[in-house]
Amino acid sequence: MSFARRELPTIILTACGVLMLLAFFTPFEAFTTIKGTLTSWTIVVAATSTWLGFAYMSYAQYRMYQRNPTRIQLIYFITPFAFFSLFLIVGISFPGNVSSPQYLWLLSSIYQQVGATIYAVMFFTLASSAYRTFTVASIESIALLLGGVIYTLRQIPLFPVFAPWLVPVGEWILLVPNVGGGRGAVICAAMAALVVGIRTLWGKEMTMVEA
Amino acid sequence: MQGKGPPRSLWERLGEIDYRWLYALSLVLMVIPILRPFGLPTVVSEPTKGYYKAIVDLPPGSVVAVSFGSSLALLDEQEAQFIATWKVYFQHDLKVIFYCTYADSMIILNEELDKIVKPESYGKAYGVDYVRLPYAPLGESGEAAFATNIRGVYPTDIYGTPLDEIPMMKDINDHRGIDLIHFQYTSCTDVEFVIRQWVVPYGKKAIITTLGCCGPMAAPYYPTQIKGFLSGSGMGTELEVLSGNPGPGAVMSDAKNLGILGLLLFLLLGNISYIGKKFGGKG
Repeated sequence: MSFARRELPTIILTACGVLMLLAFFTPFEAFTTIKGTLTSWTIVVAATSTWLGFAYMSYAQYRMYQRNPTRIQLIYFITPFAFFSLFLIVGISFPGNVSSPQYLWLLSSIYQQVGATIYAVMFFTLASSAYRTFTVASIESIALLLGGVIYTLRQIPLFPVFAPWLVPVGEWILLVPNVGGGRGAVICAAMAALVVGIRTLWGKEMTMVEA
Repeated sequence: MQGKGPPRSLWERLGEIDYRWLYALSLVLMVIPILRPFGLPTVVSEPTKGYYKAIVDLPPGSVVAVSFGSSLALLDEQEAQFIATWKVYFQHDLKVIFYCTYADSMIILNEELDKIVKPESYGKAYGVDYVRLPYAPLGESGEAAFATNIRGVYPTDIYGTPLDEIPMMKDINDHRGIDLIHFQYTSCTDVEFVIRQWVVPYGKKAIITTLGCCGPMAAPYYPTQIKGFLSGSGMGTELEVLSGNPGPGAVMSDAKNLGILGLLLFLLLGNISYIGKKFGGKG
């Protein structure tokens, strides 16, 4: 593997990581400034990745159409580009850009409704999957079911009206066993992240640089 | 096509109800409270009390930074939270910096702030009492950048005015000018962004607003790292009640009342079928 594909990314990663650590653990203003600059760069990179995403999407759509050159696939192929173009053109054509009434109409009439519908459909699939798969087959699933049901009942105003005891029990589940388990999980994840971080700084974490 | 096998037991039939019936029942149960709201009393939870206290305990003139990452698709879950919160900010004479971290959030901010909250109705002026900064794809590193150098991330406000020309922002360029960080997000694990980039390095007070499903992931950080949290429209309703600012939360919570009842009914049916098949014989 070439220097550009392996050593160079490792050197950049290690340098950035060390600078971030110095900003955190030392009182010097210079490191804080460097941290600010580096983190600002990541925002620029993230913004640029929109176009990278567009390129990937175009390629994936094209490959799908190549594999299945039917009329329906052609419609699937064209649809995202049509909406991308529509939003892009409307967004840059009218005074006010993305705050123009035309763009806001597109957002509220199409984007918001489609997004909300997708999440609403999830409720039905959730109900269906709960019915088919959430069975009390073990001690763990019984605990999960009881905790989940009591917490859910506490969150919905209808149930505490008829069963006031749900309030303290639901909050106890949220703030005692959930917090205990959650903190344990966070600490485990943090230890694992620490190991990955040290390996990355040391140039041993190849998943960060290898394709 | 259904074969002519041996007759199925009651338990088997109970476990094989066509799920489209379940969908239809869910739909009906959700629509009923929308048409005829129940108006049930709301019990305020501890995290909501902590959230409210963190705001109202701030001295007047304190600066709140609102990291606003709301999504149009999930507006029903969070609208009540942030409308009530923003009203509380202006009622308690706090200065607010809104900055948008999600593509939809700038549009939601403009719509909700101008048409529903109306800061001017509290005697607040743009640029003096509150500022709106545009969308930037921040993520965790962006939060770190914002806390270090606001102008490096947002050189101008949403109108293109340089921050140096905005009276409220003259002396504010990093975490030192912020008294409370309000982190608003829709992806459950993002709760750690604010803890890692604001609370741990700078000791800032933080409150968060998120989706109902993300509450259990926020709870481990309450009340030490985050002073309070609102998850879902239910806790948004609680803040409406606690702060005396009625809003859209009550209607949303009502709609979820019976919808959740359907979900629990399906859980019950599925388990009766499972237990019956295992222990109940032919039924």
